[in-house]
Amino acid sequence: MAEYWYFKDGFEAKAREFLANAPEPDLNLEFTVGKRDFVNAGKASAEIKLSLKRIGVEGAILRTVAISSYEAEINCTAHADGADILCNIYSNLVHVIFHDFGPGMKDIEQSMVPGFSTADDMVREMGFGAGLGLPNIKKNSDVMHIISGEGERTYLEILTYF
Amino acid sequence: MKEKKYFHAIKLVSENCTGCTKCVRVCPTQALRIRNGKVQLDDDKCIDCGKCVVACKFDAIHTCADSLEIIDKFKYKLAIISTSYAGQFRESVGYMTAKKALLTVGFDEVAEESMITETMSKIVREYIKKTDIRPIISSNCPAVVRLIQVRFPSLLQNVFHVEAPMSVLSVYYRKKICEEHNLQENEVGIFLIVPCVSQVTAVHQPQGTYKNLEDGAISVQDVYNHIIPNINKIVESDLQCDTYPKGLSWAISGAEAEEVNDGTLKTLAVSGIENVNDVLIKIENQRLEKFDYVVMNSCTNGCVGGVLNIENPFVATSRIRRLLRSAEHKNFHDEYFLKMYEQGKFDVLPLKPRSIMKLDEDIKTALVKMKKLKEIMDELPGLDCSACGNPTCQSLAEDIVNGEATINDCVVLLRKSIKE
Repeated sequence: MAEYWYFKDGFEAKAREFLANAPEPDLNLEFTVGKRDFVNAGKASAEIKLSLKRIGVEGAILRTVAISSYEAEINCTAHADGADILCNIYSNLVHVIFHDFGPGMKDIEQSMVPGFSTADDMVREMGFGAGLGLPNIKKNSDVMHIISGEGERTYLEILTYF
Repeated sequence: MKEKKYFHAIKLVSENCTGCTKCVRVCPTQALRIRNGKVQLDDDKCIDCGKCVVACKFDAIHTCADSLEIIDKFKYKLAIISTSYAGQFRESVGYMTAKKALLTVGFDEVAEESMITETMSKIVREYIKKTDIRPIISSNCPAVVRLIQVRFPSLLQNVFHVEAPMSVLSVYYRKKICEEHNLQENEVGIFLIVPCVSQVTAVHQPQGTYKNLEDGAISVQDVYNHIIPNINKIVESDLQCDTYPKGLSWAISGAEAEEVNDGTLKTLAVSGIENVNDVLIKIENQRLEKFDYVVMNSCTNGCVGGVLNIENPFVATSRIRRLLRSAEHKNFHDEYFLKMYEQGKFDVLPLKPRSIMKLDEDIKTALVKMKKLKEIMDELPGLDCSACGNPTCQSLAEDIVNGEATINDCVVLLRKSIKE
């Protein structure tokens, strides 16, 4: 298993502290997305965005969460065999966890390179698979953490502070 | 703190309301409720789309356009007709007759939106090329602008921020008429002949404009009813007026997008409030950044679908398309208006958000409410039957957390508890 961390400048200390303490969320949402279920893909991220809108999260932040969670959700549908999604909402941040059902990533660093993709023809035909998913998640998050390995379930978590 | 009450161009007639919930279920912003058997409107949520007016089969939701009689208060009366007007009359009557007919019901002069839509298309193109924001959303439909204010405030920056064609014409004509006829500004009455409820609201409570530019908004239906008894006489009369068929494209959402597109732009036309809502969600998620310009109309097919029209939107579309096919370009003081635009005369104030999405101003309280809302949702049957008077179970749950309803309002749960 390999691990990948990304912290936006100034976020590492407080994010590590938060993850170490793992406090009880004020609100949590749970979803399951299916393999290649393109009809429903995007519903979980839409629900997450709506919930944040309802609690009054500001537009620009809302958009970054919408984009990062949408990209991750599409990854779970297109590249993995589906996933469990857990969204923990606090008054100062949102923590979204995507725990997919495999088959895992060979090389995380390589997957972070814009343009690199393992997508097959069917996925490309759906308009996905441009190799911009993970880089786009990184661009739209304060903290991004991946644990994966070939034949393993990939664990991706994203933190966004309000 | 609430500002002054928001004006809406619809009026609820309680005595006619049967509490059937038809209107409640079609409202795109969930602004309607049935309480104690009668319909109620939340002024903060309503965007004046007019869906409820069409849905009501009991005449309990009226539109409040101005009546034609109010024009008599003015010395000189100008009618500015919406582009959809030309599609309301059968072909044997014709577009020119329909237009000059307005001179027989009390107006001294008739202008029309289509005079200036070609010029506006140029302005839209220039505006798009000057900004990096994508996509630019057309501000043509007041209901769409209001939907963005209440549900998608983060997209207000995408809205085309220039005065609307009819308002631009109002400014031009008021000045011209005063000079030509030696009249004071308040002696000139300028009236829009409008196809929908949101345009009535826009006249009485404009968003972003510096002042009210028109003196009233009269429905296409009202004018039509006054004209039609004498239509044959008008066909034969020798009254004359110019027509601007090319500019009629703005009555149809797809045609407006084509008109604005000079071949270098990627445009998208969306009509029908559900589709508009869907596409706004996509724009908010930055899924449509490749588009330069999005024309959105709350009504089916565009303004031809407005509830204050006479003709079916598809029939009207066909008639207008026919006029468009044979039309030639005819610029109405193009240079003059373009210069006015360059001088900033068509500038509007930034649009203000009126968000209805927040459950509470305080994020902590909002989170508590969200949690409670989820618990209530688990309890409710999820049938969205509307028997409680709310459009959906979700909306009842929201009303409960906001203290505006109780779980006992759910008829299904009540029935279950009686059985037990």
